[in-house]
Amino acid sequence: MRYLPTADAEDRALLEAIGVRSAEDLLSGVPDRLRLKRPLDLPPTASELEVLRAMERMSALNKRFRTRFLGAGAYAHFCPSAVDAQISRQEWFTAYTPYQPEISQGTLQHIFEYQTLVCDLTGLEVTNASLYDGGTACVEAALMAVRVQRKRTKVLVSEGLHPLYREVLRSGFASHEELSLVDVKLADGVTDPVDLAAKLDDTVAAVLVGYPNFLGHVEDLKALSDLAHGKGALLISVTQEAMAFGWLEAPGKVGADMACGEAMSFGTMTSFGGPFLGFLAVKDAHKREIPGRVVGQTTDLEGRTGYVLTLTAREQHIKRDRATSNICSNQGLIALRANMWLQLAGPEGFKGLAAQNAAKAQYLRARLLELPDWEAVDDAPFFNEFPLRFTGDMKAMRAALMDEGILPGLDLTPHLPGYKNCVLWCATELNTRHQIEHLIEVLARVASVVG
Amino acid sequence: MNLRKREPLIFERSVPGKVGLDLPVLDVPPAADTRPDHLRRESFDALPSCSEPEVIRHFTRLSQWNYGMDQGMYPLGSCTMKHNPRLNERVASLPGFADSHPMADEGLVQGNLALIFTLQEWLKEITGLAAVTLQPSAGAAGELTGVQLIRAYHVANGRKRKVILIPDSAHGTNPATAAMAGYEVLDVASAADGTVSFEDVTDPVSGKVKQGLTSLLAEHHDEVAGLMVTNPNTLGIFEHRIDAICKAIHDVGGLVYMDGANMNALVGVARPGDFGVDVMHMNLHKTMSTPHGGGGPGAGPVACTKALEPFLPRPVVVRDTVKVGEGEVPQHTYRWDWDRPKSIGKVHTFFGNFGMLVRAMTYCLSHGGDGLRDATLRAIVNANYIRRQLLGVYNLPIESPTMHEVVFNDAIQARNDVHTLDIAKRLIDYGFHPPTIYFPMVVSGALMIEPTESESREELDAFVDAMKAIAKEAEENPDLLHQAPVTAPLRRLDETTAARKPVLRWTKG
Repeated sequence: MRYLPTADAEDRALLEAIGVRSAEDLLSGVPDRLRLKRPLDLPPTASELEVLRAMERMSALNKRFRTRFLGAGAYAHFCPSAVDAQISRQEWFTAYTPYQPEISQGTLQHIFEYQTLVCDLTGLEVTNASLYDGGTACVEAALMAVRVQRKRTKVLVSEGLHPLYREVLRSGFASHEELSLVDVKLADGVTDPVDLAAKLDDTVAAVLVGYPNFLGHVEDLKALSDLAHGKGALLISVTQEAMAFGWLEAPGKVGADMACGEAMSFGTMTSFGGPFLGFLAVKDAHKREIPGRVVGQTTDLEGRTGYVLTLTAREQHIKRDRATSNICSNQGLIALRANMWLQLAGPEGFKGLAAQNAAKAQYLRARLLELPDWEAVDDAPFFNEFPLRFTGDMKAMRAALMDEGILPGLDLTPHLPGYKNCVLWCATELNTRHQIEHLIEVLARVASVVG
Repeated sequence: MNLRKREPLIFERSVPGKVGLDLPVLDVPPAADTRPDHLRRESFDALPSCSEPEVIRHFTRLSQWNYGMDQGMYPLGSCTMKHNPRLNERVASLPGFADSHPMADEGLVQGNLALIFTLQEWLKEITGLAAVTLQPSAGAAGELTGVQLIRAYHVANGRKRKVILIPDSAHGTNPATAAMAGYEVLDVASAADGTVSFEDVTDPVSGKVKQGLTSLLAEHHDEVAGLMVTNPNTLGIFEHRIDAICKAIHDVGGLVYMDGANMNALVGVARPGDFGVDVMHMNLHKTMSTPHGGGGPGAGPVACTKALEPFLPRPVVVRDTVKVGEGEVPQHTYRWDWDRPKSIGKVHTFFGNFGMLVRAMTYCLSHGGDGLRDATLRAIVNANYIRRQLLGVYNLPIESPTMHEVVFNDAIQARNDVHTLDIAKRLIDYGFHPPTIYFPMVVSGALMIEPTESESREELDAFVDAMKAIAKEAEENPDLLHQAPVTAPLRRLDETTAARKPVLRWTKG
């Protein structure tokens, strides 16, 4: 086996030095009655070439699309070539959590810069090294809000949050009988302020709203946070498409007390939904309640600037059952992707790409609405995603697009009540005008056949 | 090699107007500005303006201050720092996998579903358990999923149980996880041989009595939801009474969770399902070589018994066999089953860290069943070789048989006022990543060494020589160790001030 340093002679030398005859002799700690007495029923050892071929065959069972209009929490964006090249350096990808700061300054300084950028994007003061993904970030944010707010035990969740984020939240809260989650309705595709006002009281710790929400719509965070703050609740903004931070004001600057979500858009492939990159940013006053790894600046014995993991008194290895969370290191390398992506993009590149996303989505929507069987459902401002109702045969339409190599937007029917026969369309900088015209052409053809 | 001693923060290099990414020409009309005025992004405070070569140099220089697995032995105990095959990276980036979308119709992602189904089958075979979910994205997430399964099981059976028992040698995530799942944690004492104690244990120093399993179960028999146990434990010792432990917990109606962080010692040798474990997680970033990435991403699949299967996170992948004629190879199709009324729900937005699952599958396929067992045996041989070579040079506080890792401590060197931290830091000067230190906490000044199967005899000898040289220095020139490291880019860092006056981001200043 090519990964094992096992020439026979070498093995014998090791065993002799240990004073045993065979490796089996070293299993004396495992009582005989507990040992596996047969070989594992798995395939035989294989060469690199054979494994590559087998895995290529498996990957080819997935259908590939030249053109994609599907977002819904996983976005295809452009990633500069420099990112993949850098990520492949062994110093980044084979290293572990920077427990020994003297030989991990690369990772530590990168995380410090990453933390700075997440704070910049969200307009908040403190963040951590990463969380698993957008959905689990919501759980951490909501549980943190309950800790910060002490006696308050209720968390309000806008129905405009990604339905899967809401399911992860429900699962995370199921273990806590003392806590409850209450849904807040949508009106015209955004969180209904009337329903929110009715449900806010002094038991509410926090309100979670999408920014933009699952439908791609821009929520008015200022108005919603004013409502929440009026009853002493925290406002948590949840961003599933972080590219929107190049288009929309930082949530912390328009009333959000905490901002969490998904940052896979910065340099990560859609990769069937993972590994992605959860984030959570909070105010300085709440920093000792934040979950996860945090990096801070300090100096070494000679007074030189350096970086270390810090505020560890919150964490599981110190506090055990009184820790802020059980989370340890998690999406390190994906945070590195995001950091490098953002540094390459810079303010102009980031705002420019975001504006292109908005332009492509607006153009796509306008073109779709020119077709007879597509209708607007609501009128809220949107970023790079929007829902439209389809009056034709959904199944036939989707099949026709896929035949043409086009992955259509998400059929919202099973995902969101009130959006039956609606499609959530997404356009990014990757979608050319030519792709959009091709889509329209195929849809027009379908309409004429069915109509 | 990075010859520079300092790389400024990227923010200090920023010059407005420089760009690292040129925008494509916009081929549609510019966006109409539909944003409310107060929601318009105008500016950034920190996002830097730099050219591409500057950003590449910045990260390359930073990378050269990191120590990585490809440079040398990384004996971080309980972290299983083994070789990360490049093939795994290549396979994970095949466009068929990398471009696949989690919200795509299941008919479009049959390759992914086949991969998930197959890897689950293999992990069932490796663990000896009946069902597997690949959704948890890390070890800690796997633990939480497992404890949530235990909770759901008890709730479904109408039992009110509020206590989880955890040996005092456990990793901190175990108690943190139990608390996160709403449980009260009670510590179980360790016996002199480092394994779970049935009897109560009196601390020789404080005289305090710590309860063993027997008395804890007698006192809390109707409250115990389960036990979380690591096997081999954090001392690298196999819990040789694990079957009796499982039986004792089952007798009071509880379930046993096994932390599989140390599965690298068991694959192909023994199976948790065979000795009575009800639910466990595995760390694919440890046992199955997916890279540690400077702290993730990992993957923490959970395996469980038939009784717990209905509670697994949804959706669950199902394989249907298409009917074929006699003598033909059966054809399979795969689909998601979302209709799981007893499911604990979702523990990840989508289906887990899929890219890591691809790597783990590639690892398993490369090794095959025999190769996996060989890897386990070699990992055990390597740990025992280090144990043998360092015996007498460093103190071995517990002498039970060593599996894949060995725990020494600083008792011998402490006589010269040289402590675990000094030894660890001095190893850096000898060109090695230090072992895990001060863990497990049941051993004072622990040095937890896990070489993994990847190390050749030459590399092991080089490590042993370094450890011996350090022991000698501790006798002859202890101050050398107090000053270590001296060859790293930085000397020891002031962690106290970092925590007391936290500076957690750069600000324009």
